Amino acid sequence: MNKDLKFLVVDDFSTMRRIIKNLLHDLGYKNVVEADDGNTALPLLKAGDIDFLITDWNMPGMPGLELLKAVRSDPKLAKLPVLMLTAEAKRDQIIEAAQAGVNGYVIKPFTAETLKEKLDKILATAGK
Amino acid sequence: MSNLAIMKPEYAAYVEALSEALARDDEEAFFSALDHLVHLRTPDFVSEVRKLTGDLQTALDRFRIESRLVDIAENEIPDVRDRLEKVLQMTDAAAHRTLDLVEQSGPLAERTAKEAAALADWWTEFRRRLADESDTEALSRMEEFLSAARNDCERVRRNLAEVLLTQGYQDLTGQIIRGVMKLVSELESTLAELTQLSGEDLAPKAVRDAIAGRDPSKKPAVASDQKDVDELLSGLGR
Repeated sequence: MNKDLKFLVVDDFSTMRRIIKNLLHDLGYKNVVEADDGNTALPLLKAGDIDFLITDWNMPGMPGLELLKAVRSDPKLAKLPVLMLTAEAKRDQIIEAAQAGVNGYVIKPFTAETLKEKLDKILATAGK
Repeated sequence: MSNLAIMKPEYAAYVEALSEALARDDEEAFFSALDHLVHLRTPDFVSEVRKLTGDLQTALDRFRIESRLVDIAENEIPDVRDRLEKVLQMTDAAAHRTLDLVEQSGPLAERTAKEAAALADWWTEFRRRLADESDTEALSRMEEFLSAARNDCERVRRNLAEVLLTQGYQDLTGQIIRGVMKLVSELESTLAELTQLSGEDLAPKAVRDAIAGRDPSKKPAVASDQKDVDELLSGLGR
């Protein structure tokens, strides 16, 4: 696995961003930037050097699902790996995210193993 | 006797006039009879509206008298929102403090584990050389200690990772609290609309505070932190 990958972690709770950042560090990914909703995340993504997006769903401003749709509709970002990390666990929502093109979906609260497993799977599929 | 029975003779006369006018194609007579009929019904309608208005006024009056509701709308609901906001801030601060300590402690445990591992290798070799001429009990106890230190540090690191993840509660409970805050805000605006609807210019807050014996300029009855407690006690000569 390429440990130089640049991650963008989007969550409105700064504690959760910090937790995910720490877990990524433990997995060897040191290059992590943060945003607190879709509106602040999108300019960072459009700047072009993000390799992996981890986003919450329920956020004031632009929620994660809209961010995902915006990413998929931008030709430059369309293939960006996106992992959703959210407390939204309703079947309909998971299906909606899948239809919008999410690569992985982790329900909060989650374990470090689950996060690693999903990351590895997505990266293996993306060939990174 | 029913209403119809009482009204029957009067209605019957107009109905008859209506039907005769219709038969004669007498437009003027027809509409005149119709106007009379409508007029007969109108007082009932007006009195119904008047009664409904009265009922509504009574309900609104009662609502106004229920100053408890006004108090809830104007004071307690904003207070509830403030308190929930405070919970969010406190749990956020506590979670961040915990994360600070986890981030500081992890590398310490890692360093100790590494150092113990390096020392253990060196110690094994050292012990082999000294085995014949030294206090073997001290030597083996040292070896056990180094091995235990390595395992314990690994365990500490795993626990710290668990502590880290557990701080996710702040996000999960925070989302629930935000949901409740939203509901409370909706309740607040609904109550505000109701109090407005009740028409009367409710006594200004300052006046009601005065009636209730509250002075808004005074400090709240609950001391919020240690500084407040110290100030309060020193003010009392303690």
